[in-house]
Amino acid sequence: MHISMRNIHKSFFGAPVLVGVDFSIDSGEVHSLLGENGAGKTTLMNILYGLYEKEEGEIAMDGKPVEIHNPADALSIGIGMVHQHFQLVDTLTVSENITLGLREQGYPFPDRKRIDQRIRTLSQQFGLDVHPEKKIRGLSVGERQRVEIMKLLYRSAGILIFDEPTAVLTPPEILSFFDVLKELRKAGKGIVIITHKISEVQMISDRVTVLRDGRRVLQCRLEETDEAALSNAMIGRTLTRPRRQKRTFDPSVPRLELREATVCRRKLNVLDHFDLSMAPGEIVGIAGVDGNGQQELAEAVVGIRKVTSGSVLFDGEDITRNSIIDRMQSGMGYIPADRHHDAILLSMNLKQNLLLKKHLDRQYLKHGFINGRKTDSATKQLIRAFDVKTPSENIRIRYLSGGNQQKFVLARELDSDLRLLVAFQPTRGLDIGATDFIQKQLLALAEKGVSILLISTDLQEIISLSDRISVLYMGKNMGIVDNDENLSIDVLGAMMGGRRHEDLDA
Amino acid sequence: MKTWMHKLVHFVWPVVAVFAVTVLLLLLIGVDLAQAFRGFFYGLFGNTFQIGEIFVKSTPLLLAGLGCSIGFHCGFINLGAEGQLYIGALASSVVAIFLGDLPPAILIPLMFAAGFIAGGIWAFIPGIMKAKYGLSEVIMSIMFNYIAIQLIALSIRTWIKDPDYPFPMSSLFAENACLPLLIPHTRLHIGFFMALVFAALVYLFLWKTARGFQIRACGCNPRASFCVGVNVNRNIILSSLLSGGFAGIAGFVEVAGVQHRLIDGLSSNYGYLAIMVALLGNNHPAGVVVTAVLLGALDIGGLAMQRQAGVPTSLTTVILGIIIVVFLLRNHYSTRMKEA
Repeated sequence: MHISMRNIHKSFFGAPVLVGVDFSIDSGEVHSLLGENGAGKTTLMNILYGLYEKEEGEIAMDGKPVEIHNPADALSIGIGMVHQHFQLVDTLTVSENITLGLREQGYPFPDRKRIDQRIRTLSQQFGLDVHPEKKIRGLSVGERQRVEIMKLLYRSAGILIFDEPTAVLTPPEILSFFDVLKELRKAGKGIVIITHKISEVQMISDRVTVLRDGRRVLQCRLEETDEAALSNAMIGRTLTRPRRQKRTFDPSVPRLELREATVCRRKLNVLDHFDLSMAPGEIVGIAGVDGNGQQELAEAVVGIRKVTSGSVLFDGEDITRNSIIDRMQSGMGYIPADRHHDAILLSMNLKQNLLLKKHLDRQYLKHGFINGRKTDSATKQLIRAFDVKTPSENIRIRYLSGGNQQKFVLARELDSDLRLLVAFQPTRGLDIGATDFIQKQLLALAEKGVSILLISTDLQEIISLSDRISVLYMGKNMGIVDNDENLSIDVLGAMMGGRRHEDLDA
Repeated sequence: MKTWMHKLVHFVWPVVAVFAVTVLLLLLIGVDLAQAFRGFFYGLFGNTFQIGEIFVKSTPLLLAGLGCSIGFHCGFINLGAEGQLYIGALASSVVAIFLGDLPPAILIPLMFAAGFIAGGIWAFIPGIMKAKYGLSEVIMSIMFNYIAIQLIALSIRTWIKDPDYPFPMSSLFAENACLPLLIPHTRLHIGFFMALVFAALVYLFLWKTARGFQIRACGCNPRASFCVGVNVNRNIILSSLLSGGFAGIAGFVEVAGVQHRLIDGLSSNYGYLAIMVALLGNNHPAGVVVTAVLLGALDIGGLAMQRQAGVPTSLTTVILGIIIVVFLLRNHYSTRMKEA
């Protein structure tokens, strides 16, 4: 079977996400679709699977054009997809999940024994180790993924698409997943893997396509390329050199110090003996692919999550056991990545959102009551100072654009005596104007002596703001490099793929 | 001009809808419309006693409704006001029966405190279960209603039963333990006045203090509140305590102001109606006051309609149901209008 997509175009709300992309997949090969977040990988595959409609371009199977408008169309010609978030019903058995939605022989009273037998046969054939009678509820993530694969095999899919299949797996599970892929390939299935991990591409694929900003920048056989070429193609933008003067810091008393900070979740060290030390006024960028422990790092520093072991020091003082409020009151600020969940009250107005941060501040209280006049004037002043576009301070923050919400969040954090700001994806989802504004504010803040821990998956942002850059991979610190003229994108790319900096030097 | 019309329509159509359905129902059961409405309004404004009755009915609705609204503000869905009311009444009665010799200036505050604390504890248990173990306060608080009601049934048949009387009820309170009347020759006691004061206090607390703000913030977005250092669990527990406490005061007011003894069926579903009072009043104390009085009036009018025109009081319940549906619909559309 040969599926080809030609000249695919797609845009969301007027912004192009796919521009004339070509892609193809053959039986008996593993084709990796590589790119950064937002490069358009998942969008492209969602079009192939019928979840999105393409705006332009054509899809053909064995040379004949096909129309795919929904997943049922895709499945009927043998294309199946395993999503990043599994779509299984916890309370049903494996077998029931696999046949869910199918009208098996004897429907609505299907012959469960025969179905189970067929699942067992398929399971043996592909080395999937799926037990049809088990309930989903008790299965591990790896087992669930195999059930998802079985769902597609049971429907006789010839092409299997995996969206970030290893993101949820532990290292041993990843290896056994690759074994399954090899079996599938041997049986003549075509496999597409959406990923942003170069190391995995190198381990499993036959061909690789790299997308960047909605365009195809590279397509070749794996043996025709190498790690450096792939990371260049993936990150590739002409990254601007540091736009700041090289600054020197006094490292004698670090503003923030992490000593072997470890956060354990589900028996996995999501933050793994992380060491870091940053001077007052310094901006340290933490680069890395999403989901490598960024959330845990940010939350361990501000106290939302407690470290399982190791310690956190703030201006030399051990604050490992201190509460969030203690840390905030001693000069720590936090801009979370997910502002809607972690930072603002969507159904309240701007004044109340300011109060969320300030309601314990004596300045905002008068005789034990909230000082309405002070709140009013402070909100208005922040709106003016940060140029937040809003009809009034009495409007629910829900009705502001993402960029203006984020400006307000930043304004709220900066409106106190800060010594350290943890900025986690501070410009995610913002347009160029708002991004630029926020980045300028961060630079100005650092000039005033505030240290900034900038955690971002946007390498461009890291490079344009940071004094030093560290890379987070599987919860570990891959090393720290100075952000100066000697900075090498290849080195950063290799570190993001899991190579330690000291190993690269050797 | 256009928005003004919009607002008017927006306000008028629910009233018209409820009225139309009521008339239809009255026609269906075949009563004289004029007589039915005359009965209804006579019941409301016929004489001072009747006017007093409206507020007698409203008082427990108002207090328990305030309680529910505090819980709702913090995301603590307290459906157990009925049970909390009963437990509050039990605690107040026990104080009244066993310490009946104390002067009113001491006894009544004691009864009040007992009702508040007992009702509070009854909601505090589901509150702590939600905060510490993430159990559903909805189920838990409803189940606690049954326990409370049967606990009262048990008590008035055994240890606090009136020995001189064959029926299951506690002995009559001494004069000291009864709330003074506001208007002579009615049943209207100072409880209603107290409830109004509490409504004002709740407003001040929730909207003007830091703690009240925390409670509302936790209801709005517990995760964001947690991330800025607010102790979410403590606020849930506090709001559950206050929520149940107000329902407990409603129980105190019923025994001390109206019945002057503890009986079965002390509450005519006040605890459940309180949920609707909070809902219809938009969880705002002023709204709660208005809806409590309106629902009280509906109940009294319905009773009078039964006496005068033979319309069963079941009609009141039906109308109440329709009001809820219509208002929920209206809220749905008004949110949609705002978001559009």
